[in-house]
Amino acid sequence: MPRILGSAILSAAMALPGLIPSAHADSAPESGIISLRYLSYRDKQPGLDRITVSAPSLYILFPVGREWAFSGSRVMDSVSGASSRYHSSISGASRMHDTRQANDFNATRYFERATLSIGAANSTEHDYKSEAVNVTGTVSSEDNNTTWTLGFGNTNDSINPVNNIVVNEKKHTRDYLLGLSQVLTPNDIVQASMTYANGHGYFNDPYKMVDNRPRDRSQSAILAKWNHYLEGDSVLQSSCRYYWDNYGIRGDTLALNWVKPLSNGVTVSPSVRYHTQSAANFYYDPVYDPLLGAPFPLGFLSNPTGFYSPDQRLSAFGAITAGFKISKSMAGGWEADMRADYYQQKSGWRWFAKGSPGLEKLTAIILQLGLSKKF
Amino acid sequence: MSIPVNEPECRTAFVAMGSDCEVCLAAASRHAIDEAAIAAIKEVIRIEEKYSRYRNDSVVAAINRNAGLDAVAIDTETAYLLNYMGTLFQASSGLFDATSGILRHAWNFKDCVIPTEEQLQRLLPLIGWQHVDLNVGTVKLRLDGMELDFGGVGKEYAADRAANILKERGITSGFVNLGGDISVVGPRPDGTPWIFGIRHPRNPNETIASVAATSGALATSGDYERFFDLGGMRYCHILDPRTGHPVTAWRSISIIAPLAVAAGSYATIAMLKQGDALTWLEESDVAYIAMDQAGCVYSRP
Repeated sequence: MPRILGSAILSAAMALPGLIPSAHADSAPESGIISLRYLSYRDKQPGLDRITVSAPSLYILFPVGREWAFSGSRVMDSVSGASSRYHSSISGASRMHDTRQANDFNATRYFERATLSIGAANSTEHDYKSEAVNVTGTVSSEDNNTTWTLGFGNTNDSINPVNNIVVNEKKHTRDYLLGLSQVLTPNDIVQASMTYANGHGYFNDPYKMVDNRPRDRSQSAILAKWNHYLEGDSVLQSSCRYYWDNYGIRGDTLALNWVKPLSNGVTVSPSVRYHTQSAANFYYDPVYDPLLGAPFPLGFLSNPTGFYSPDQRLSAFGAITAGFKISKSMAGGWEADMRADYYQQKSGWRWFAKGSPGLEKLTAIILQLGLSKKF
Repeated sequence: MSIPVNEPECRTAFVAMGSDCEVCLAAASRHAIDEAAIAAIKEVIRIEEKYSRYRNDSVVAAINRNAGLDAVAIDTETAYLLNYMGTLFQASSGLFDATSGILRHAWNFKDCVIPTEEQLQRLLPLIGWQHVDLNVGTVKLRLDGMELDFGGVGKEYAADRAANILKERGITSGFVNLGGDISVVGPRPDGTPWIFGIRHPRNPNETIASVAATSGALATSGDYERFFDLGGMRYCHILDPRTGHPVTAWRSISIIAPLAVAAGSYATIAMLKQGDALTWLEESDVAYIAMDQAGCVYSRP
């Protein structure tokens, strides 16, 4: 029998259901939050520094009474660098610089065992505008151990690339979400969700040569998550996700995240994620037509209006992300955090199958800094 | 047993779990108080009915009926409580045992009879948390004749649940008192603490200490709740699961803790720890007020 200290009794009592107004009970958050974040993303391939993104953001959560909460955020992205014009070719890379401004607003009404929230978001770049609305509802069981989530979103995009390859193109997407969260034991919470998105319109990358994708895209994913509380207050979060779409991509993602509180309000969380996917059925390998040369795929002339894409994101590959986050809570409701992720994508890392040949590996470093205050 | 000293603004008295109970609240309107108090009392009664060993339709009755036979399906709340009682068993090195209630078949506090050693020896093999097979969604008592009892935590759990219902209804001032186990909802309307007196274990009209609280809980375990005196000895209802005999070291131990369910567990285990009680409470970092058999009071703020 493992020896448990008497002080464990209080923490065990705290875990009993319905004794303290719980964080996931359906009432508005007790305090507001204002947080400032800075994100930096940088990716590269051998011989080519690709995209650099720097994105400061501001987020505010503002509860009104016990029944309402409003939140809003604003992000300013600055994107610069080179994007390859086909496959991972360096020679065709085009330099670019762009800024993006994104805002979103969300209002949530809390009922006795339910929540209803509506949100709106927009994002503006000089060649891409996006507007979205969403509605999400949750219903919890009487013991708060089971929560159902139902969500719907609608997004309208308009695309005006600077090269005028198309003018005023549109894309319209509808998203659906069905989720279930279940407390299994005092130490285990499982979540399952299914998402479906159905889009119609312009999906091409206007800056890639020979990029012609179907104008309808349906994407589905099933996500299963398991949060397991370990002794010593740490939490092991694991998840797996299966994704499929009508482009022919099948993807699996496995993720593990360990959240470990240390003393003095410091929490560390190392994480690792593995993603593997098959290629879209119109993705073509970097094998070019002998007459036309790169970037035209083999047999392009016999079907010049067919679907083709050299986009590396539609290829078959495996990718690993390793991350580490450290945060510190301080007096007065202040919290600071720092997160670093290292991402590497390689054809050879595809699981149980061969990846797309002829592509360079892609690496990315993502750094985030955040400072927040409760009020 | 703890007695509120200052008269609360609004008191609703009721009887549940074999004790005198009350919900004391202050709120903006009489109507809000009534609605909230009724919801809190309903919750206490729900728990009493669900976990009573005297009712044939209770969860406990179903588990005990199937002892030595089958695993019984349990809901999440019951699983949580069983899991918690498992923690108590471990944290008390086996002294808190939710299967020790079977000893009531030998101890008859009404007729003041000390059971024979033979009677106790017949029951002791049926006591043992290690014979409780707790799985996801089911529980099984492995030995035929075993009995599970939620009595050790039910009342305090109900006090906390009722207090939480009041908090969730927006009540910020008041407390729930179930037979002396108190869970505070919030301070008096003017922000000052409630003052609770701790009953003298031998003189119901006297208090041995008072406790001021704006939040948290207070629970007491004592040798004066069910007992008989015989030949100069007090035989109380708190029984050592290893011997089947009552504990004798303390007249009462009161615990101040953030939750009544934790306070009650600390108090019961401390009574069972006998001579080691105070060391264990100090190690557990718990505030207590205890009176020994000589009438000396010990406390830790």
